[in-house]
Amino acid sequence: MDLTEKLEILADAAKYDVACTSSGVQREARQGQLGATHVSGCCHSFTADGRCVTLLKVLMTNACIYDCAYCVNRRSNPEVTRVSFTPEELAELTIGFYRRNYIEGLFLSSGVVRNPDYTTELFIRTLRILREEYGFRGYIHAKAVPGTSPELIHALGFLADRLSLNLELPSSESLARLAPEKANLDLVKPMRQISESIAEDAESRTLARKRLTTYLSGPAPRKAARAFAPAGQSTQMIIGASPESDYQILTLSAALYAKLAFKRVFFSAYMPVVEDDRLPKTDAIQLDREHRLYQADWLLRFYGFDVSEIIDEEHPFLETDIDPKATWALNHLDLFPIEVNTAPHEMLLRVPGIGVRGANLIMRARRQTTLSERELRKLGIAYKRARYFITCNGTYSGLGVDFSREGLHARLRAPIDGGRHGRRSDRALPGQLSLFDNAQLCLKGA
Amino acid sequence: MELYDDVAYVYDGSLEGLLSAIFCAYAHHEDPCDVVVEGAFQPRLSQRISRIETDVHAAHRVRAGIQRTCGRQAFRAVLKASLSGDEQAGTVAYRFVRYAMDEGGKSAVSNIAHPSVAPMHAIVRSVNQECEHIRQFARFSHLKGNDMDLWFARIRPRDNVIPLVMEHFVARFNIQPFLLYDEGRRLVGVYDGTSWYQAMPDADLFLDRECMSSEEPLMQDAWRRFYRALSVEARYNPELRRQLMPKRFWSNLTEIQEGAPGLRKSTRP
Repeated sequence: MDLTEKLEILADAAKYDVACTSSGVQREARQGQLGATHVSGCCHSFTADGRCVTLLKVLMTNACIYDCAYCVNRRSNPEVTRVSFTPEELAELTIGFYRRNYIEGLFLSSGVVRNPDYTTELFIRTLRILREEYGFRGYIHAKAVPGTSPELIHALGFLADRLSLNLELPSSESLARLAPEKANLDLVKPMRQISESIAEDAESRTLARKRLTTYLSGPAPRKAARAFAPAGQSTQMIIGASPESDYQILTLSAALYAKLAFKRVFFSAYMPVVEDDRLPKTDAIQLDREHRLYQADWLLRFYGFDVSEIIDEEHPFLETDIDPKATWALNHLDLFPIEVNTAPHEMLLRVPGIGVRGANLIMRARRQTTLSERELRKLGIAYKRARYFITCNGTYSGLGVDFSREGLHARLRAPIDGGRHGRRSDRALPGQLSLFDNAQLCLKGA
Repeated sequence: MELYDDVAYVYDGSLEGLLSAIFCAYAHHEDPCDVVVEGAFQPRLSQRISRIETDVHAAHRVRAGIQRTCGRQAFRAVLKASLSGDEQAGTVAYRFVRYAMDEGGKSAVSNIAHPSVAPMHAIVRSVNQECEHIRQFARFSHLKGNDMDLWFARIRPRDNVIPLVMEHFVARFNIQPFLLYDEGRRLVGVYDGTSWYQAMPDADLFLDRECMSSEEPLMQDAWRRFYRALSVEARYNPELRRQLMPKRFWSNLTEIQEGAPGLRKSTRP
């Protein structure tokens, strides 16, 4: 089997792992070594489904000892040809693609062969070839396999830029039902180890740079060769394979961001790829729900929202026809309209139609001119949505619309228009179809 | 009411030409209606045309003046506007410089709601986005021959981005000499292993199949198959792909094209 065929099989097997970004670390280039990274990452291509291709996303091997119900590589799936890369092949392929500006780096995951430690050792060997033999300074995202011993995770962290461990299912009950072999593995312990190591490493590097004595301090200590996972850690959850509500999912994400300093939580709409009795029997894919969850995730990370403001136990699912920020605004109409020329940055972010970029532009522009409607329209916000919630220098342009929840709901509703092709037209609404008997599951906190 | 004088300044398209045009406007106490590049010019009715000679000394004076009065960021904005492919870019840059020098000063470039600054802001943003697209979508091929071992990429940007993106590629690929060829402008950015410069080749640069290194077809095929294997049919969304990866870049993308992009087509008898 030649390299191209192996690549095709292993890339096809890896495509359901959506955790693929190349952002988070700024590494300058060094003369004589290949590669550099940029803090915002770089999307080198986009697939036919609109998702970005930025890293060489492959599995080391698609053979696996586990038999998780939702996974295409599960041990009992007979239709899959099992292949594997050698570390040398994979490193050569990564460098070849990188030199042609196809990718920013490598995303390495794998099925578990023999045991988690053996798989992680294969990763470490590949990354060592890249970092030490080729001197590669590009981006590497490595998956930590649950059940690996801490020493190997420690070694892996100093070679990769981002580490991640997939939760896959938002609660331990679902995990016990759909992936029983992984259920007794503690998923949180390695996550905690990684976030503690990141914090410890960052602290020691800061201390090393500080001058602790005024006199007779020796030459500045050389920076340690590599940082521990400088781009942080992330994880992924499958949406729709198990009956958790949006409330449970978002509470878990918020806890990961707050307590374990996660960089990113990814949501992947469940795609039926294997037959199993434990999985939902419907063909419809919850892409709309995934979209709303990402919007809520953005509110948590960039808009300064607390998770209790977005969702609560009485309404455990996000609305489908209106985005979460607009929902919040409609529930708090007593705070609006705000004056754009004097409102604080945090309140500007809460206006539907004004995003992070729009709020920054308004802050910048209003230092020098008073903003009226004419300037605001040209500035780069969604004025048609925002005008009901703002006044420009005292003038309110949202007249003619009933300033109540119902009236504004009709104006702000924006059903998701994510293309009209194929499976997207089967939109499964969350919570309405009783896919599962028991929707009341309690969640074990992180 | 006549807002501007009925004259159009025509310059050669370079940064020095634009700065010379600005110098002339001040020197002749005129306020031209349009400041446009030679090739893309359509005169208005009853408009006098004034062709500007590119004067490097005048350009340096204008540059020093802008940096002193309006700051380095303002000059960087004018530089990016001069590289833009938009026909209005020259006029917008001229109006911005006029406003910044006469009234705005150091805070001109951040007064983004002002009618002279807002279009400048938009053009600079557009040039920055084009630079980002080239950093994303430039695809290199490895050429290896008797005395040659280099990497070659063809691009077709809307704006003249080679002066702005060469540093990125030189830093990242500093161990491999490469050529970055802008096929629309016949301009090539050359990195020879130590430093980079720009050149204008006499003829169009193509890839010859014989020049490609032995593993090049294999790598291109691998990349094409990898790209196709990655998409999930159930999420098919061609509008989103077109929005994020504009079709004007597709002619030079290895993964979309069947053969190597930029390959010399066989000449028909």
